Amino acid sequence: MVITAPLCFKAVGRTKRADHAVNEFDGSSTIVDAADTIAEHSRSMSGSEKSIEIHRAKPAFRESEEHYRAVAEAATDAIITIDSDSTILVVNPATERIFGYSSEEMIGQPLTMLMPDYLRHLHTAGITRYMETGRKHIAWAAVQLPGLHKSSAEIPLELSFAEFTNDGQRFFTGIARDISERKRLQDRHARLARHAVLHAEVSAAVSESEKTTSEMLEICASAIVRHLDAAFARIWLLNNEQKVLELGASAGLYTHLDGSHARIPLGSFKIGFIAAVQKPHLTNHVQTDERVSDKEWARREGMISFAGYPLLVEGRTVGVMAMFARQSLDQDAIEALESVAPVIAQGIERKRTEDILRDTQRLIQAIFDNSSAVIHVQDLDGRFVLVNRKFEEVAGLRSQEILGKTSLDLFPLNAAAYVAGDRQVIETGSASETEEVFTTDRGDRVFLTTKSLLSDESGKPYALFGISAEITERKKAEAELREMQAELAHLNRVMTVGELAASIAHEINQPLAAIVWNANAALRWLALDPPNLARAHDSAELIVRDGDRAGQVIARIRALLKKTPPSKTLLEVNEFINEVVALTQTEMVQHGIHLRVVLANDLPTVPGDRVQLQQVMLNLIVNAVEAMLTVEDRERALLITSGRFDDSAVRIAVSDNGPGIHPEKIQHVFDAFSTTKPEGMGMGLAISRSIVDAHGGRLWIEANEQHGVTFQFTLPIATSD
Amino acid sequence: MATKATIFIVDDDPSIRLALENLVSSIGQPVETYAAAQDFLRDCPRNPAGCLVLDVQMPGLSGLDLQSELSHAGIFLPIIFITGHGDIPTTVRAMKAGAVEFLTKPVSDTELLAAIDQALERDRLARADRAGVAELRERYDQLTPKEREVMALVVQGLLNKQIAIKLNNSEITIKQHRGKVMQKMRAE
Repeated sequence: MVITAPLCFKAVGRTKRADHAVNEFDGSSTIVDAADTIAEHSRSMSGSEKSIEIHRAKPAFRESEEHYRAVAEAATDAIITIDSDSTILVVNPATERIFGYSSEEMIGQPLTMLMPDYLRHLHTAGITRYMETGRKHIAWAAVQLPGLHKSSAEIPLELSFAEFTNDGQRFFTGIARDISERKRLQDRHARLARHAVLHAEVSAAVSESEKTTSEMLEICASAIVRHLDAAFARIWLLNNEQKVLELGASAGLYTHLDGSHARIPLGSFKIGFIAAVQKPHLTNHVQTDERVSDKEWARREGMISFAGYPLLVEGRTVGVMAMFARQSLDQDAIEALESVAPVIAQGIERKRTEDILRDTQRLIQAIFDNSSAVIHVQDLDGRFVLVNRKFEEVAGLRSQEILGKTSLDLFPLNAAAYVAGDRQVIETGSASETEEVFTTDRGDRVFLTTKSLLSDESGKPYALFGISAEITERKKAEAELREMQAELAHLNRVMTVGELAASIAHEINQPLAAIVWNANAALRWLALDPPNLARAHDSAELIVRDGDRAGQVIARIRALLKKTPPSKTLLEVNEFINEVVALTQTEMVQHGIHLRVVLANDLPTVPGDRVQLQQVMLNLIVNAVEAMLTVEDRERALLITSGRFDDSAVRIAVSDNGPGIHPEKIQHVFDAFSTTKPEGMGMGLAISRSIVDAHGGRLWIEANEQHGVTFQFTLPIATSD
Repeated sequence: MATKATIFIVDDDPSIRLALENLVSSIGQPVETYAAAQDFLRDCPRNPAGCLVLDVQMPGLSGLDLQSELSHAGIFLPIIFITGHGDIPTTVRAMKAGAVEFLTKPVSDTELLAAIDQALERDRLARADRAGVAELRERYDQLTPKEREVMALVVQGLLNKQIAIKLNNSEITIKQHRGKVMQKMRAE
């Protein structure tokens, strides 16, 4: 401040009524005149009324008078002196500037001309009361009150008052500072503060995980209404599937979420347009804006401005926020909206993610509980920490009876196997799939259980996860199927052996005939005189050999005809081929078939079921023999070979020179019930293929270049482990 | 001939071969065994005495094949066929081709030995027949063409006079030729 109050009081204190003042100068400045008048007045008073203070300060007073004039003239604040009737006596140049009146227009006029209407009677009443009671109706220092400009605009003023008495008359001097700028700054600060609060509230709302999306949006909308003085604010969410914006929150004038604005198609109306083009729409001329459709409504409600912002997350529209206000929006408000838009957008996005997560969790829980799989989680000490409904069902226990217990506690009959499986997974760290048996009163139930370790972020395992599917029925069906297949295979063997019956009988009859003859010979050798013991002995040895031979044939047939469970042993490939060849040799001789058997030496052993593999050979040989029965124009020839197929398998081939098989039928020979024989079942090749498959090999057919076909199959050799 | 009768055995089955050899040996007959028909064809004597015990079904050359091969080669041996399962067509074919016996297993030792006896007897007779015919042929070969002409008419029962007219010779000439024929043919 340039002017200090005491100096001001003193100066004014010497002033006579302004209207009595004589303008001794050029009158260019009223306050100067007034000040001069006061100074003059003081001078004129100096003789008769000698105030001690003034008297003592006489030279200084003169000085201060001058000083006052200079100050008053230079002052940027309005300085106005009134009398007790509130008539303006003196004004300085700043007064003219601030209020827009010339000094002539003001001096002699009531002070109330410089006040807004609504303050005038307060002033009048206040000053009257003060005159009567000495009680001030306002504080006298730095009071903020509006003044009235000549243009009728209000001017924010900061006022200070002083009173002085001269000749028994009371005068008041007011210093009015135009604080429009300050007020504006203050208002702006206040607004900015509100904007900061808006931002803070919005930020708080979107980061609060307890709130639902609509609660969050409601808070945001109402914060916009409160802090930006919006008439109302709304937030829509984009439903991306339906390409429609759904009203999520509305605060202020309207709070309903239904009605015509509840669903806005993407691209339609101003909201849909904002969402589509991803650009804000701002106007301070709602009533004439082309994008505002209901201008009648806007006029009726006195809407001035509209601001609509797309809510974007990484370039994607997630919604739109918009507000109407009954006043213009300044740059600050726009900036405030701009700053909260991405926050709200992020909030929506996060809520959406959270919703999805929550839904997912709910879904997982539902799946977990409704799964037909038996699911459990155990800690690394084997205590159950989580089981699903199906687990409870199977165990016949409720979860509270299960949790905290171990397999050993709950399933003592089967625990050893379970624990061994658990331990393996924990020790190796790799998932396992095992069949587990669960013993119940009503028999064993079989489960296929997958166990794996659950690990934390650092990779440290903390639990064992097990999921089991019951395969009891499947196992039963498999067993039945296996049994049926075995029956069929057996039937096939019986039938094949039946076809070979004559040959087989011959194979047995040969040694039997030999035995009888050798026995008779022995008797004759013994009956000689002297008996030929050496020849008798030889005869007995021949009998023994022939008996063995017959026994072996019978044993082989019995093995083929017996229903034996499959058992794998290491087999010499050539050995089991030769045994089958021996059974079928007579058959071939009988049908005039020239048999050639070419077997590779040093073949590795193969793991397999002797009976089953012999059955395959038997089927292939019998088929080949039958195929060649129609051949009359060339020697019937059957070739059986063995050899290495590759590093990991041996190959056995049976090749005939029969009429061959039609190319269209050649791939169907392995189908069940595919047969060319009226008496056949057509199962032989189908069974043979399933046997070879079960041995991990392959059985296939190829047409020979000239005549007939070659059936061959591979068998994997025994691996060293 | 002075050749002792031998039992030849051809069978691919070693049990059967050894048992037959044993059995036949036990009655004191010489035995020769062959594992395949081809072996026998290659190794057997040109004019064997005895009989052949032959398996019908054998890989390669079968029993029946051997039978016809022997016949072509002019080797005469009575054949006893032994078969695991005799069927009528095979049997008929074998018997037509001159088989002595067709035995279907099981064959008892007596049955077999009886068949062998019979075969040996037949061989002896046949050999004797074959020996007589051969001697006559030898004698006949000594006749002159004229004597053969005369002999042919004599055999028809013509008188010397009739023959002389037919051959346009004198009766005395015919009588001399006739005497030569009777002498050379050792006809009494």
